Amino acid sequence: MTGPQQDAPAILVVEDEPLIRMEAVDMIEEAGFRTFEAASAAQALKVLEQEAEIAVLFTDVDMPGGMNGLALAAEVRDRFPEMGIIIASGIVDLEGREMPPGCRFFPKPYPTSRITAALREVTGQG
Amino acid sequence: MPQTVAFLGRAEGDCALIRRILTREKIEARELTSLTELAGLVGKELQAVVVTEAALAGPGGEALQEALAAQPAWSDLPFVVLGEPAGESPSAEALARLDGLHSAILLSRPLRPEVFARALRAALKARQRQHEARARMAELQLRDRQLFESEASFQAIANSVDQMIWSTRPDGFHDYYNSRWYEYTGVPEGSTDGEAWNGMFHPEDQERAWGVWRHSLESGDPYEIEYRLRHRTGQYRWVLGRAHPVRDAGGKILRWYGTCTDIHDMKVAEEQRRLMLAEMNHRVKNTLAMVHSIVSQTLRQAESVAEARDSIQSRITMMSQAHDRLINSAWLDARLREVVETALAPHQDEAPRIALEGPDMAIGARQALALTMALHELATNAAKYGALSAPGGRVEIAWQAPEEGPFRLTWREAGGPEVAAPRRRGFGSRMIEQALAGYFGGEVRLEYPKSGLFFEMSAPPEGLTG
Repeated sequence: MTGPQQDAPAILVVEDEPLIRMEAVDMIEEAGFRTFEAASAAQALKVLEQEAEIAVLFTDVDMPGGMNGLALAAEVRDRFPEMGIIIASGIVDLEGREMPPGCRFFPKPYPTSRITAALREVTGQG
Repeated sequence: MPQTVAFLGRAEGDCALIRRILTREKIEARELTSLTELAGLVGKELQAVVVTEAALAGPGGEALQEALAAQPAWSDLPFVVLGEPAGESPSAEALARLDGLHSAILLSRPLRPEVFARALRAALKARQRQHEARARMAELQLRDRQLFESEASFQAIANSVDQMIWSTRPDGFHDYYNSRWYEYTGVPEGSTDGEAWNGMFHPEDQERAWGVWRHSLESGDPYEIEYRLRHRTGQYRWVLGRAHPVRDAGGKILRWYGTCTDIHDMKVAEEQRRLMLAEMNHRVKNTLAMVHSIVSQTLRQAESVAEARDSIQSRITMMSQAHDRLINSAWLDARLREVVETALAPHQDEAPRIALEGPDMAIGARQALALTMALHELATNAAKYGALSAPGGRVEIAWQAPEEGPFRLTWREAGGPEVAAPRRRGFGSRMIEQALAGYFGGEVRLEYPKSGLFFEMSAPPEGLTG
């Protein structure tokens, strides 16, 4: 399957580095999902407020400006309890850092098949 | 101490009497003939003097008086004085001199030999005590001077060494700081005694420091902590505090001795290094992400392995050259014209057909990298399908950075074959249309009019650097 279908679930991709964000969007659209993008936690929250249909938050950890990915995940878990959360990060060791319950974590560079499998699972697509 | 006793009598009978008793008591003695002679012997190992009252009245009295007055403080030469025979009263002269003897015992007549002997022995013992006292005093004075010199020596070391030194009682009460401490902190002497030292620490470090110090006091473990100390300029500076206990023979702690070393500059450098390493790590990760992106998207779109290989190589080479340029400027920024030239370098042969127009200006490292890759894509496409693929085609690249308003960069092709938007969006189009705008915080337009491809990026001035 290449490219998102009209009624496929929507994933919000949050990543401050444009090329990496592009890569993530590519990978996720390739797997058949629709995507929305944000370059910071603040932007992400704006998008989430405007678009009601987002099923999964896909976010990096280290982002500039006040709130990082973990804080964003916690906020989202609070406000949108039904939303799936996947955290991807270049930081190898997140031990001791708190992740909200029900989050999945993947390292960078993105292990594509595992991430897409997780997305499918989280959105109930197989 | 040689028990030198001297005696002086006037009447021969007296002298004989004294001589006889001294011999019998086995006391060595020396017979003198005048007070003057006696005066000369005071202070020269004379331990006691036997003298008759009558002899005291003789000539040389003043000399004797002077000699006695000139004795050092510890010395008081004892006299045993034989009184006048019973019935005879002493002369005024003799009485006066008797008073002037300080330490004298007067024996009456008739003289009982055992009384005389006892009196003399007592005098000699008293004299010996004087010698002992003198020795003791000399010893104390020596110790006193040694202590003074030791103290001066300690002060010299403690105050000249370029460290803050402090010391406390076993209960932790700070009662000593060297002069370096007061120079550094600028506080009045004594004002940080007791527990007042804690107030000199940064508020955020105070509790932690108390905890560590308390642990050391209780356990005897050496004290070590990095904290911020208030410098006399008001600035808090990082300092390393360390202390060790000194114990007595039984292992009980007598005192704590400690130092404070200013490590601020080192800490600042360490922080900068840490930041730089984090930044480097970030850049490397981004570079690898870019390569990952290039490879996976190229492979996805390529018609053949050979085509994929060429495309990947070309893109990675371009990225590598962009990196070289950036390393030369220590990753700080890049000159825009150089960036454009680098991207166009593979198309050197077409140089006459490519026009560059725009002011000299700087853009940030990340922006430079992204722009290089985007321009590389535009140039590759132009060479494959666009204005550079056939004779007669031209490319015009122009940029403006007006005082007010956004930065604009355009790529306009003309005179080449008609081109249309690609059916599938590969790495190139994503780079140009999506990623680039992200790096500059701006917008990108890509159009395909009949005249030739038109690309435009506009971005706010603050998006160019940083």
